[in-house]
Amino acid sequence: MDTETAVHDPIRLIIKRQEGPDAKPRWEEFSVAYQPHMNVVSALMEIRKNPVNAQGKPTTPVVWESVCLEEVCGACTMIINGTPRQACSALIDDLKQPIRLEPLTKFPLVRDLKVDRTLLFDALKKTHAWIDIDGPFDLGPGPRMSAHTQSWAYELSRCMTCGCCFEACPNTGHANKFVGPAAISQVRLFNAHPTGKLNKQERLRSIMGADGITSCGNAQNCVRVCPKDIPLTTSIAQMNRDTTVQSIRNVFGSDA
Amino acid sequence: MDKDRRANFLRKLHSFAGVFPLGIFLCFHMCVNYSANWGTAPYDTMGSFMAHMPYKVVLETFVIFLPLLFHALYGVYISLTSSVTVQRYRYFRNWCYVLQRIAGIVTLLFVVWHIYGTKLQVELTGVDPSYAMVAGIVATPIGLALFAIGLFCSIYHFCNGLWTFLITWGITVSPRSQKISGYVLFALFIAFAAFGLKALFAFVG
Amino acid sequence: MGKGSIAVVGGGLAGLMATLKIVEAGLSVDLFSLVPFKRSHSACAQGGINAALNTKGEGDSVEEHFDDTIYGGDFLANQPQVRAMCEAAPKIVNMFDRMGVMFNRTPEGLLDLRRFGGTQKRRTAFAGATTGQQLLYALDEQARALEVEGKVRTYVGWEFVSTIIHNGVCCGITAQDLSSMEIRAFPADAVIVATGGCGAVFGKSTNSTINTGYAAARCYQQGALYANGEFIQIHPTAIPGFDKNRLMSESARGEGGRVWTYKDGKPWYFLEERYPAYGNLVPRDIATREIFDVCVNQHLGINGENVVYLDVSHIPASVLNAKLEGILDIYQKFVGDDPRKVPMRVAPSVHYSMGGLWVGLDQQTSIPGLFAAGECDYTQHGANRLGANSLLSAVFAGMTAGPNAAAYAKGLPEGQNIPQSVYEKAAAKDESDYQGILQLDGTENAYRLHQEMGELMTKNVTVVRNNADLAETLVKLEEIDERLSRIGVQDKATWSNANVPFVRQLHGMVDLAKVITKGALERNESRGSHFKPEFPDRNDEEWLKTTIARYDAASHSPVLSYEEVDTSLITPRKRDYTKAH
Repeated sequence: MDTETAVHDPIRLIIKRQEGPDAKPRWEEFSVAYQPHMNVVSALMEIRKNPVNAQGKPTTPVVWESVCLEEVCGACTMIINGTPRQACSALIDDLKQPIRLEPLTKFPLVRDLKVDRTLLFDALKKTHAWIDIDGPFDLGPGPRMSAHTQSWAYELSRCMTCGCCFEACPNTGHANKFVGPAAISQVRLFNAHPTGKLNKQERLRSIMGADGITSCGNAQNCVRVCPKDIPLTTSIAQMNRDTTVQSIRNVFGSDA
Repeated sequence: MDKDRRANFLRKLHSFAGVFPLGIFLCFHMCVNYSANWGTAPYDTMGSFMAHMPYKVVLETFVIFLPLLFHALYGVYISLTSSVTVQRYRYFRNWCYVLQRIAGIVTLLFVVWHIYGTKLQVELTGVDPSYAMVAGIVATPIGLALFAIGLFCSIYHFCNGLWTFLITWGITVSPRSQKISGYVLFALFIAFAAFGLKALFAFVG
Repeated sequence: MGKGSIAVVGGGLAGLMATLKIVEAGLSVDLFSLVPFKRSHSACAQGGINAALNTKGEGDSVEEHFDDTIYGGDFLANQPQVRAMCEAAPKIVNMFDRMGVMFNRTPEGLLDLRRFGGTQKRRTAFAGATTGQQLLYALDEQARALEVEGKVRTYVGWEFVSTIIHNGVCCGITAQDLSSMEIRAFPADAVIVATGGCGAVFGKSTNSTINTGYAAARCYQQGALYANGEFIQIHPTAIPGFDKNRLMSESARGEGGRVWTYKDGKPWYFLEERYPAYGNLVPRDIATREIFDVCVNQHLGINGENVVYLDVSHIPASVLNAKLEGILDIYQKFVGDDPRKVPMRVAPSVHYSMGGLWVGLDQQTSIPGLFAAGECDYTQHGANRLGANSLLSAVFAGMTAGPNAAAYAKGLPEGQNIPQSVYEKAAAKDESDYQGILQLDGTENAYRLHQEMGELMTKNVTVVRNNADLAETLVKLEEIDERLSRIGVQDKATWSNANVPFVRQLHGMVDLAKVITKGALERNESRGSHFKPEFPDRNDEEWLKTTIARYDAASHSPVLSYEEVDTSLITPRKRDYTKAH
């Protein structure tokens, strides 16, 4: 390991820095000593232990978000060499150098690589992404569910609201209000649950507006960038079917 | 209907109009074109039948022009509000997505030019559409090239649009079904392109 | 009753559960969290949640779950609340089931259960290998519904700074917006701190970056008692990493994974050989010490490194994918090898703090009005925590703290008015401390200092503890404490400054490190996770007692005292996992 460290070139990173939402962005280059099995987060950690840029000038530690470092919380999402992904699971050995780090572009910037992803959570409010229970008290077991339903619904329930799909979608952000793939997939998840089904219409209605499912243009970037391999495009197609059926019911009248 | 619901309805209507009636009309139109392969006379007969169809104005207005106008204008709006991301996300489907929008706009320009060159002449001069009229347009290399580009774009826009139509209406849901529909529609694109080119070259020399 | 609202600090399982129960009791909640709730550390819990549902025809019972937990914790836990937790467990799992958690199912659609360490029954409900995430999401969703109804106000991206104590009673908190850096006082009838563990004290651990233990440390600095700090669980199987050690869940062994290394050129399944009754599923402290022994004392680690193999490659890939996909993906993603095909290289790592803020049966700390719930309290696990009991204890603690805090709030005297100046003063004090840190211009780098402390703690205060090392560690911690004032803050920005809060957290970490180390130094016995070769046996006569640390502000050091353990339900007996108990 020591010899490997000694002969290895330092890691080169080019990071987009921005003091605040209204500040002018600039690129700053850093050089970090290489260690085997390093990821982008550990490179950023090294920088804050010695905040000096590649030109040898002292600078401020880079601001970024991180929590679990196991790709299960979604916090450290950023654009790495052009792709939105988690910095913890981005291994240095797999990346082309210099490694370019940028903040996500579809969310209000806070500082450096940190953005405010509140809108993703607001989308979950809008789409009624929860099961309506009477209260957190004991009412005995929940409804039975087939192992088959569980197995695909579990895949959907692993969405960590990281924002990769929203970032990569050509129909979100800027001029558009599109709620994004993740929230639509959550509608499918909750509508699949035996209790969740009872509020199916409400959830479907929530994605049948101007910012809803019809804003999807089927570019299918979402499913390609999802770090959890959630079948987002399948969810969207299924919700297309369900909203279509719901529209017909709305027009012709039906209590279902 | 509130504004929110209307947007949803218009989107669905846009998707629907692309196939019914516009897609159907495109197929029909291409079949008519193909008759040029059988000679000048059969084509001219077709043209004259089209020009003298009963309820022509009503049919043209409601089956062609209004849907076309709506599909085109709303389509331009959709294109302008979507972003081009193929520099960053070089996925096949993302390319299809961008091409769909480009092809749509090219098709719109082509259709305007095409209507000006044929349909409008027919209405203004009162002559029936004829083989000679089309042959005159494609006689120059530029005319021919523009016609071929317009033809390709409209066929691509139709075939790829049909692929998204199947998703938008919830017909193909699983990745597998979307893959199969992709292959089938690609084959359709090739067939239509060949069919269309053959028809086009029937007007040349 | 006061203003009718309670401040909950922490958006993990314990904090969210408390929030739900407070709203159920008719009060409103100000909910503070460093990060969006979905990003809380609860998400990292993998294997499952224990509950004696007894749906596997094995005759499991609450009594047995209770006994396993007490026995696993080496009899250091107060028994009545552990009993209550085990009793509540099936109801808790059922509640999550109703909330839509995608638990794995049996062929007839019921909850599937698997085996975990320290038990011989299948008792662990699970959702793939991301159970913590799934439970957290369920509570996050319920809290969101309450937020939409206006019953919960959320402050995401706000960091708890201090409790506000007036006449010895907690009546609110100060918190800082980590974007605008504004410090504000929030009055509350009661405060629940549910801020998780303190793995960052050890530098690298399986914990998240936010698990600095700062909030608990701050309560301790402000007078709350801290209990059993020296009991730190070292998980036997983690993936050593550069930035953190990633957990390889016990569920890998629960589903049949085997631990081995080479001995005389042949695979040696040392846990199975030494503990025939439990095999690979001995409790964590035991597995950790065995791995430590094999690697450090016998030099039998793989390739001479302090790692052993955890092997699931003999299990069919389809089973692995259905039950362990999440954790195997983590291994593959971060190491690059496919554990379905080759054995995983694992090593012990700091994982969980059994100790925490002292609380009574009602989860109230020693400061009236201040409650603690979850990993930051000390109640349920004694000297060692059993696998899949952490999610349970977090939820149970929140479920207990919430209604008790609500009852406390309702019982406050009518018309009790706390002068506005109390809040203004508290905010001003924290603001001036913040400005003080911002101006620090010394030569020490806070992050390097943290790393140094982490390495010191990991070396001397984890698996094997010697008094000489512990004493030396305490001296070094004093030095580190002193060096805190010589920190230089490079980032002087007054917008989204991450540097300053970290320095504040580091002060808390140093204080907790002292509590942990001093507790370990004083406790001359071996019990659960606390192992001293000089005193290899448990000594109930002298040490069957809870360590209580009180902060001495003058010396920045803990003053220790001890409290009897309530062993009224199960008489302590020798812990021996070589046979069934």
